[in-house]
Amino acid sequence: MAKGTNDAQLLIQSLRKAYASTPTSLKIIDLYVVYAVATALIQVAYMAMVGSFPFNSFLSGVLSCVGTAVLAVCLRIQVNKDNKEFKDLPPERAFADFVLCNLVLHLVIMNFLG
Amino acid sequence: MATSKVEGSSSLRHAFGGVLSVFILLLIGVVAFSIRLFSVIKYESVIHEFDPYFNYRVTQFLSKNGIYDFWNWFDDRTWYPLGRVIGGTVYPGLTLTAGTMWKLANSLNIPLSVETVCVFTAPIFSAFAAWATYLLTKEVKGTGAGITAAAILAMVPSYISRSVAGSYDNEAVAIFALIFTFYLYIKTLNTGSLFYATLNSLAYFYMVCSWGGYTFIINLIPMHVLLCIVTGRYSSRLYIAYAPLVVLGTLLAALVPVVGFNAVMTSEHFGSFLVFIIIHVVALVYYIKGILTPRLFKVATTLVLTVGIAVCAVVVAILVALVASSPTKGWSGRSLSLLDPTYASKYIPIIASVSEHQPPTWPSYFMDINVLAFLVPAGIVACFLPLSDASSFAVLYLVTSVYFSGVMVRLMLVLAPAACIMSGIALSEAFGVLTRSMKFHITKYFECSHTEAPAKLGESTSTESSAPLENMTKSDTTEKPEVARKEKVARRKQKKEKELTENAHVKPVSAKKEKRPLVLPLEASIVSVFLLIVLGGLYVLHCVWAAAEAYSAPSIVLTSHSHDGLHVFDDFREAYAWLRHNTEVDDKVASWWDYGYQTTAMANRTVIVDNNTWNNTHIATVGTAMSSPEKAAWEIFNSLDVKYVLVVFGGLVGYPSDDINKFLWMVRIGGGVFPHIKEADYLKDGQYRVDAQATHTMLNCLMYKLSYYRFVETDGKGFDRVRRYEIGKKHFKLTHFEEVFTTHHWMVRIYKLKPQKNRIRGKSRKSKLGSKSTSSKSGGMTHKNPWN
Repeated sequence: MAKGTNDAQLLIQSLRKAYASTPTSLKIIDLYVVYAVATALIQVAYMAMVGSFPFNSFLSGVLSCVGTAVLAVCLRIQVNKDNKEFKDLPPERAFADFVLCNLVLHLVIMNFLG
Repeated sequence: MATSKVEGSSSLRHAFGGVLSVFILLLIGVVAFSIRLFSVIKYESVIHEFDPYFNYRVTQFLSKNGIYDFWNWFDDRTWYPLGRVIGGTVYPGLTLTAGTMWKLANSLNIPLSVETVCVFTAPIFSAFAAWATYLLTKEVKGTGAGITAAAILAMVPSYISRSVAGSYDNEAVAIFALIFTFYLYIKTLNTGSLFYATLNSLAYFYMVCSWGGYTFIINLIPMHVLLCIVTGRYSSRLYIAYAPLVVLGTLLAALVPVVGFNAVMTSEHFGSFLVFIIIHVVALVYYIKGILTPRLFKVATTLVLTVGIAVCAVVVAILVALVASSPTKGWSGRSLSLLDPTYASKYIPIIASVSEHQPPTWPSYFMDINVLAFLVPAGIVACFLPLSDASSFAVLYLVTSVYFSGVMVRLMLVLAPAACIMSGIALSEAFGVLTRSMKFHITKYFECSHTEAPAKLGESTSTESSAPLENMTKSDTTEKPEVARKEKVARRKQKKEKELTENAHVKPVSAKKEKRPLVLPLEASIVSVFLLIVLGGLYVLHCVWAAAEAYSAPSIVLTSHSHDGLHVFDDFREAYAWLRHNTEVDDKVASWWDYGYQTTAMANRTVIVDNNTWNNTHIATVGTAMSSPEKAAWEIFNSLDVKYVLVVFGGLVGYPSDDINKFLWMVRIGGGVFPHIKEADYLKDGQYRVDAQATHTMLNCLMYKLSYYRFVETDGKGFDRVRRYEIGKKHFKLTHFEEVFTTHHWMVRIYKLKPQKNRIRGKSRKSKLGSKSTSSKSGGMTHKNPWN
């Protein structure tokens, strides 16, 4: 049991050390993803308390958070220099795709929000 | 200098090949369009069948009243007295597409009527579908396979059957949307570009707008993602291809009113959410594996597994409880009947009664996809050498569509593009191998005769072999004069230029080493190429025959050839025109649900039930009325404000799809809701008959009486040409209905409900009540009016 907790602590430390070495731009994207998922969770908690009456509003709110998180993860994948598949993709192109996809997502959200 | 010359000639060949393939694709589009025009040439430019008439009526409304009125339209001329919310129950893709095309044409001052646009929508979109197949197969295997697959799809009979000119139904645009969505998915998978992922979601939105079969896409793509993960082909491109599609696709699907919240609540979509969660877990695992050492990763996995399994078990238990609490486990009736083919016949007779929902017979496979039926296995093998993400998707698509086509004959349509892609790949690979062998033998022959062509490595051999190869191209084309079809020549030329570029850039020794295991003897390859071309010719012959003879009939006009020429039976339109001109605008017409759409569209009268079949009880009411004796039927129809009753009768001319043949379904559906209608009452010894041995209930029911009233006057004996015997009850009078119109060939008969008598002669009201109760005890039919 002690070995288990020891191992867990060692695990968390090595994870933290490995993560600290990622570039700052990627860390910013990760922060954005965490923020979006946290907002989605807050919305779900609110719905659990208040009820889901305008269901389309709830759906569009949650899915917009989840959607923009997913798109940010895709951006991170494409911008990450360690990723060999995307090494000849200019980061500006990746960001432009991200913006375009977000635009479509938010257009749909605004329509569905009611 | 030598290399630049080779590269110059190869880039010239590339350009020439590109122009030629564009030209071929244009020709393929023309073929796809023209092969569907047989019905317009043989009959006229008219809308076919039943469902297209509804779509036509909706498009007319859209073109007259604009999109806002269309979106909020409540139709009170069908399903009287319930009405139908058109905006919320129709898949708007087809009507919006045709409406846009009509608006565009009229704004350019091309005066096309709405009917013309509707009739020709399907051929235009089949040309687009052929081009989409080219794009999809190009992503899977290459340009040669793409062109072959496009050429095959342009002509495949299964697709023609649902997209002839005049068949203005959802599948006309939906198949194009399906193939295009798959193409964009594969393109995203191959390139990993988020731009194509966005386009993929938008194409999926168009597919959701167009057809209920969109659930096939939203289940096939997760299945493929799962397959890739399980076979170890997970990559970040897979994540980019799938995750945005789920989120954006679900939102876009929820935007369409027909789907609405079903996009997140029905079991048809749960698969995509499950795989969404799975792909996130897998992505996380790969990320952590990348940043940890292997030993620590093992520790991490043990920790996560112990905690994770506990959490998972709880979540799964909750989910199972939720899903199991609904009687259909969350699936809709139609989807459930796809998974369990016996479901519909046990629980929902309406779904079972539609002839399109029956399983297909073996010959229908050969009729509908012909030669492709045995090219498909070859294509599956070709997809495995080498196996890529895209080719695994093609194989999965084929296997699932084969299963579904086996359940429902209507879904052969979904099998057609898969079969075309596979056969295109198979044919292209076969041609590649055969022409490569021929070229290898011919170059070897020429190199042996060329004494100053040493077996020297380097580019000089490539330039020297390229020169005789150029000659070979010309001599090969002269050698085969029967190859009149440009597509085959162009494909071989493209294969050759591909080989040339291979030779110019790769060392000739390794190229020869590659080619050696795949070389066949020269005579065999020549004969095989010839036989493959003959196979293709036979396929084209069959497709043209099927399009011209089998699939071009508008079922609203029938023809028959007899010794004194061509007979045209235009009875349906005659009847609807009579209704339109001889009845009041607000009169209600009752008929079996098959004719509802046509009646509202052509006769412009309110109907009780139509082909949408969304309300089983209402249909059962009409079915009960048709199966009841005259008085009870009159009561039911009177309670529904019906003025006219329409029946279709084929006994005089031998038209087999008439109401007497469909009558048992009326009994079954009516009996499903009103238990006093029992099917056994209408069968004699388990057999359905209307001759002298028929049961008393059968001979007295409304359908029998309305079909055979005065039928004996036609030939004196009452011989029914469809059932092929004389009818049972020949001379009878109608007490509650009067005949107002019978068409020229007695195919459609219209009756009017007689108004209730003001005064009942001879008996007082009290004794009438007494006699009513005695008759209810004696007869099998209770006199109860279900609406009081």
